[in-house]
Amino acid sequence: MTTTTERPPATASARPPWYVPFVGWRVITLLLTLVGIAAVLMRRGIVVSGPLRWTAALAFVGATALAVAALGYTLRPRHVGRVGGFSLDFLIAVVAAFVAFNRMDMFTGLDAVGEAFNDSAGWLLVIVLGWLVSGFRSGQNAAVRTAARWTMLLGVVILALSMGLVPGVVEFISRLIQPEVFPIAVLAVLAGTSARLLWSDAATRFYGSDQRQLEALDGMLFVAPNALGFLAFFAGPLIVSLFISFTEWDGLTDATFVGLRNYADLLSDDLFLRSLRNIVVFGVIAIPLAVAPAVLLASVLNSKLPGMKFFRAVYFLPSIAGVVGVTLIWKQLFDSTVGYVNFAILKVTEWLNALLGSGLDAPQPQWISDTNIALFSVIILFVWQQIGFNTVLFLAGMQGIDGTLYEAAELDGAGPWKKFVNITIPMLRPTTVFVVATTTILALQLFNEPFILQSPSPPSGPGNATLTPVIYLYQNAFQEFEIGYASAVAWALFLLIFGVTLLYFRRSREDGVLTT
Amino acid sequence: MKRLLMLLLALSLVAAACGGDDGGGDATAAPEPGATTAAPSDDGDADDTTAAPDTTTPPSDDGQTGDEVNLRWMTRPDNPEEAAVYGEISDQLNDSLEGITLTYEPGSNEGEGYQQTLLTNLSAGTAPDVFWIPGTDIADFASRGVILDLREFADASGHSDDDFYPGPMAHLTTDLETGQPGNALWGLPRDVSTFALYVNKDLIAEAGVPDPLELEATGEWDWDAFNEVVTGVADLGGEIKGYGQSNWWGPFGAWLNAAGGGFFNEDRTACALDSDESIAGLAALRDLYATGATIPYGEEPEPPFRAGTVGLFQNGRWATPGIRTVDFDWDVVGLPQGPDGPGNWLFWGAYVVNATTENPEAAWELVSALTQADVQAQISELGANIPSRVSDDALQAFLGFTPPENNQAFLDGLQQNPTTEGPLWAGNWPEFSNLMGTEVQAVVTGERDIADYQTNICSETAPAFEG
Repeated sequence: MTTTTERPPATASARPPWYVPFVGWRVITLLLTLVGIAAVLMRRGIVVSGPLRWTAALAFVGATALAVAALGYTLRPRHVGRVGGFSLDFLIAVVAAFVAFNRMDMFTGLDAVGEAFNDSAGWLLVIVLGWLVSGFRSGQNAAVRTAARWTMLLGVVILALSMGLVPGVVEFISRLIQPEVFPIAVLAVLAGTSARLLWSDAATRFYGSDQRQLEALDGMLFVAPNALGFLAFFAGPLIVSLFISFTEWDGLTDATFVGLRNYADLLSDDLFLRSLRNIVVFGVIAIPLAVAPAVLLASVLNSKLPGMKFFRAVYFLPSIAGVVGVTLIWKQLFDSTVGYVNFAILKVTEWLNALLGSGLDAPQPQWISDTNIALFSVIILFVWQQIGFNTVLFLAGMQGIDGTLYEAAELDGAGPWKKFVNITIPMLRPTTVFVVATTTILALQLFNEPFILQSPSPPSGPGNATLTPVIYLYQNAFQEFEIGYASAVAWALFLLIFGVTLLYFRRSREDGVLTT
Repeated sequence: MKRLLMLLLALSLVAAACGGDDGGGDATAAPEPGATTAAPSDDGDADDTTAAPDTTTPPSDDGQTGDEVNLRWMTRPDNPEEAAVYGEISDQLNDSLEGITLTYEPGSNEGEGYQQTLLTNLSAGTAPDVFWIPGTDIADFASRGVILDLREFADASGHSDDDFYPGPMAHLTTDLETGQPGNALWGLPRDVSTFALYVNKDLIAEAGVPDPLELEATGEWDWDAFNEVVTGVADLGGEIKGYGQSNWWGPFGAWLNAAGGGFFNEDRTACALDSDESIAGLAALRDLYATGATIPYGEEPEPPFRAGTVGLFQNGRWATPGIRTVDFDWDVVGLPQGPDGPGNWLFWGAYVVNATTENPEAAWELVSALTQADVQAQISELGANIPSRVSDDALQAFLGFTPPENNQAFLDGLQQNPTTEGPLWAGNWPEFSNLMGTEVQAVVTGERDIADYQTNICSETAPAFEG
């Protein structure tokens, strides 16, 4: 690829030799997008059900707009035609390659790639050693480096053969020439070639692109992988789910557009309102408990006492442990008959009775099955998991505080507490904003903990005490086949989280904690 | 040279992804075209059960490669060991079913995960040709046209509905128009199960209460005897309890059934939770829990039972593999007789055929093969299932899979007119189940007055029968 600094000044020039076939290709891509729209709407060739059908049709309409722009501004060369054509070709190449590989079962073969690497690890070591030795510049003569290079080459050849290079390539070709694969592979190659052509200096001259436009094109290409991932796995599903929320859809048959009915139903849905109440109660208790002690803990861990690094790791451990495993352990601990929490309460009470001569009865709470306690148990678990992570964030914030502030305070006679209150806390405000915001978002999305803690009982818990919006969403989507309604729950929750976060950030900005 | 090396490495990756091999038999060896996915390893890693299918010959769109028909099938195993057995069975059927090449997909080893996987695949149009669903889901799948009516193929193959237990077959033959058993055939049951009481015989002996197995043998195993045993064991004191059941519709439903009640009216078109019989069953359960001789309602009883602190633990056959690991003397006994008998359930799930399969005839052949006696015996050997085919061979094999010694208790449960688990053809079962479960728990734990429950429960669950 030619870098932008090497490109010649951009001025529109005469038609290049590839102009006529290229215009033909632009016409073909326009026709392809129109065929795509028809195929989706008529359910011929591209059969997608429910709201996905309209989303696919919309995507093809967008592609058609790009194709029209690309063709129009190729006939009357403008930079916008280059951008449209390049974007369209790039997308066609990526999608066609994906479809072709999928039809060739290449993705299910990824397991085999892993296994092959596993079995050929020895040869990989030889290659790496050869590479290392061949890279030394001093203390060795040229013959050694040459030998190392040949060793590396030999290692690669043996690795390739042991991974089944020859039969694999034959298999690849045999799959490639299948009638349902080959035309798509050709399409991918053509689109890729066209995109490459649009990337050339000749295209720069033809379309009259200036330096700023070239840099923008470079930027587009750099962000393309991430943008594609974002579109495919985040923005795309998000838009689809918004569309689904306006429908009545069971995920299996055609959807019926119902407008805002799902959202209206939410307002009078006792279970949804109960889930909102639960999550608000949960948030009001759990968020302060997961944040405030973390500040104190961080200030302790920030001290120079021996063994602090060990304790930092210990407190961080719950954050990196798998939520399923951790919750299963807490489920055992919370067991009201054979769990360690109640056992500890029993032993402490016995000890107190022996010490004080009292006759206290040891309470044995039903941590998971009592309507009044079940949500509190989830709070304990959530706080335990979050506090370590928040502590590390506060610790990082504390280590960024200018030490001269403390020195000045000491000169003025401030003690540890005054320094903590008047320097540490105010200086940690940006960190606090971040910690509170992320903890709030996590709290409002609560799902795994109550789901696993209550299993095999319904995850909504005793008297719906642990019913959260996400659990309600799950029940509607995967137990009752109400995908449309579940999507409305998801968007209501999104608006709640977005609203809370927005308010919080706005307030923080007004207080001067955030500057942007 | 660098470019040459990179090219070789890239080609090697492509070759490996194609499963290419020189026939040397190393681990990169490509399976025979269309070979079944390797079974999960024995290390108990649950992730293994979700391994991607691994076939070398890509099926064409119509699921055929030459004369071979490619079929994908999926069933939910309860554990990695069961997934391995299903993998073995798939391999065996691969050899015995002519012209059919199978790919087995375990889905997931957790119930919720399986349901999500299946629904997502169905929505995306990528669901397997044959898959398993719980008995309660039959109506949802059949009424939405997601599964095939197999009657035409069954009739042509000499299949007889009478070879299977009548309860599940009533649901599997339900006519969509009438909601009553008819001439459809939505699938065949994979296996069945019933409830029994797992008995800690050491605790029973220590408490000096009558042995439930002996009481059952003499026909004296009723609710009174049961209560006597439960309170007797709990009298040992400390953390020892007499009885425990899980908090879902099956365990408490058995009590309603035993009193002559149930969830629905006879044609399953309306709620019957407020009938006097249902209320009598629920009241008996509430009274039992009020004694304090039980594991608190809502607490999971299996951990304390396995810890040796519970006398009787009510659960299905699926709990057996886990209980086999305990180090005390145990066995199983049938549920006690209530006013209307033992009141057991017949739990089941079925293999069904995807309505979009390109090879319905071959799919039926697979369903039929998967429900043969020898296959069912092979699966039930692990201990978690009871064969769904009424076959002496399969049942005799099941009786030999000990412990527990008294496997007959499960088979007795099947013979004692159990209530068959089933869907709501005229309503929404998951919604009904959720609404009912919350309120039943409130009654059993004393948070709701049973008279108020009787007055209102059917209006509270009415939304499940609407639309």
